[in-house]
Amino acid sequence: MAKKIFEKEKRAFMTGNEVVAWAALAAKADIMYGYPITPQNEIMHYWTRLAPKYDKNFLQTEDELSAGFTTVGGVLAGRKAFTATAGPGNTLMQEPMSMAEMLRLPTVVVIQQRGGPSTATVIYSQQEVNLTTMGGNGEGLRIVYSTSNHQELFDYTIKAFNVAWKYRFPTFVLGDGYQAKMREPLTLYDPESRGIELVETEPFVGKKGVPGKDRPPAQYRNTFSLEEELYDRLMEDIKDYERMAPEVAEYQSSGVEGADLVVVGHGIVFRAVRAAVENLRDSGLKVGYFRPVTLRPLPVPQIKELAASARKILVVESAYGQLARLLKEAAYGSTAGILTLFKPGVGITAEDIEAEVEKILA
Amino acid sequence: MILPGRIVEAYIGEYAGGKSENALNRALELARQGRKVTLVDLDIVEPVYTLRPIQEELAGLGVTVIAWKTRETMGLGEAGTTLKPGARWALRREGDIILDIGYGVEGAKTLNLIEGAGTDPDLRVVAVINISRPMTAGVEDIVEHVREMGRIDGLLNNTHLSDETTVEVVQEGARVVTEAARRLGLPVVATAAVAEIAEKIGPVDCMGNPVRALTRFMHRSFW
Repeated sequence: MAKKIFEKEKRAFMTGNEVVAWAALAAKADIMYGYPITPQNEIMHYWTRLAPKYDKNFLQTEDELSAGFTTVGGVLAGRKAFTATAGPGNTLMQEPMSMAEMLRLPTVVVIQQRGGPSTATVIYSQQEVNLTTMGGNGEGLRIVYSTSNHQELFDYTIKAFNVAWKYRFPTFVLGDGYQAKMREPLTLYDPESRGIELVETEPFVGKKGVPGKDRPPAQYRNTFSLEEELYDRLMEDIKDYERMAPEVAEYQSSGVEGADLVVVGHGIVFRAVRAAVENLRDSGLKVGYFRPVTLRPLPVPQIKELAASARKILVVESAYGQLARLLKEAAYGSTAGILTLFKPGVGITAEDIEAEVEKILA
Repeated sequence: MILPGRIVEAYIGEYAGGKSENALNRALELARQGRKVTLVDLDIVEPVYTLRPIQEELAGLGVTVIAWKTRETMGLGEAGTTLKPGARWALRREGDIILDIGYGVEGAKTLNLIEGAGTDPDLRVVAVINISRPMTAGVEDIVEHVREMGRIDGLLNNTHLSDETTVEVVQEGARVVTEAARRLGLPVVATAAVAEIAEKIGPVDCMGNPVRALTRFMHRSFW
């Protein structure tokens, strides 16, 4: 019998990668499939240290294609399976995750974004937003949580498993190299002791009974002979996705009502956005912030409302317009001026944002 | 306190346990006493939080630092890393030597790459422990972790919760680390805490271990 993970809730001092491994354990994940890539390596390192103590499994594959497809296989067998990657690994991961999208499989992938394109830096960026939200040759029918601190990495990794298995869409936790490596305190807890019910898994294949007699046959297809067949199937999935969107979309906002300018940022950049907005408000400026927590599906009604009420919106990101593109599409038709502060592949400080806002409002 | 003629200490331990912070603070403490000190960055496991970005600041405070310059380490992290020749021969230097070593079992092996590490009569290998790190949270976890790392001559209680650290957090660490040390048959070299907390605790912690006051540098030294 595996030992209990957390006797009681406690504050701990950890790195982000380590948090993800513990969160997967807390969510009762069965197996991680993985291939090493900086800056996500310690997710694997910690999972492999924890796995034998808690009767969990790990498989190191030969690349990210295999890590993605074995995760698909694990899920098909009814295991709570996950993988983690970054940068060019995320690029490779799109092929298996497209399959998961087509088969409606609850895969969970943790992405710690690094600089791109290609190998670029092992350090940090927010340049994997396009890839994670809309990657693959499909319609981006996935769920993407963008975290901004270690507590959220813990909370949303647990949530990712639940949401994936509830709605059966591939689910991603989008962190970055800074979150992966930095250290800060958080509270570790057993989700069930907080009343968070962990969604039961079930096998997709090898179910009990005779197919066609005791139960419908388990037929999962990623190949279709006719266009219309694919169309019917996709439209069903799209309807499911759209029905799910308002239940899953999350955001955080403050002071947007009557603001002269609203700063929009996601992930770790949101920390700088919030600090900058607080400082600017203290100095008397009418500014607010808006942060999409889910980048897919986006909180579209709230973005439309924001764009209708704010005079100016400043989108801040460590990429060259990946968040801005998503936001503009959601805000289409509004008259708010959309301004940008793009620093692809490097960190953004509260001072950077304050200086930009002061320039705009001067 | 009368200090020995030559101080040679290697700081090892769990990832993000506080090895670098304790190593550099120890080097600064010795330098403040007018001693000749060399601080060596031997973290070839995980180069993220490293002495590199702050080496000039430390040099300005009277410590000789052997570490790569960031611009000398193109491709670092992906292409692996190389031991600086000066680091390999650091134990042949005059004066006190403080070694900041990479994390875990692999980090501890780095010590084998240092010329004279096996025979240096003054070398003490110190395992830095923070019980707020889940992998070293309890007595049994610490005992297991320390045994895995090979040669250890003493433990250092570095229990903290970053900005949320209280005296009680540190004292609980002192109790757990001291019990682990007892089971391992090792001394507790010190309890370390940021100056503000160290002052409140006094010269010794609740278990009678000497208290070292830390000034935080490492939160500014990412990559």
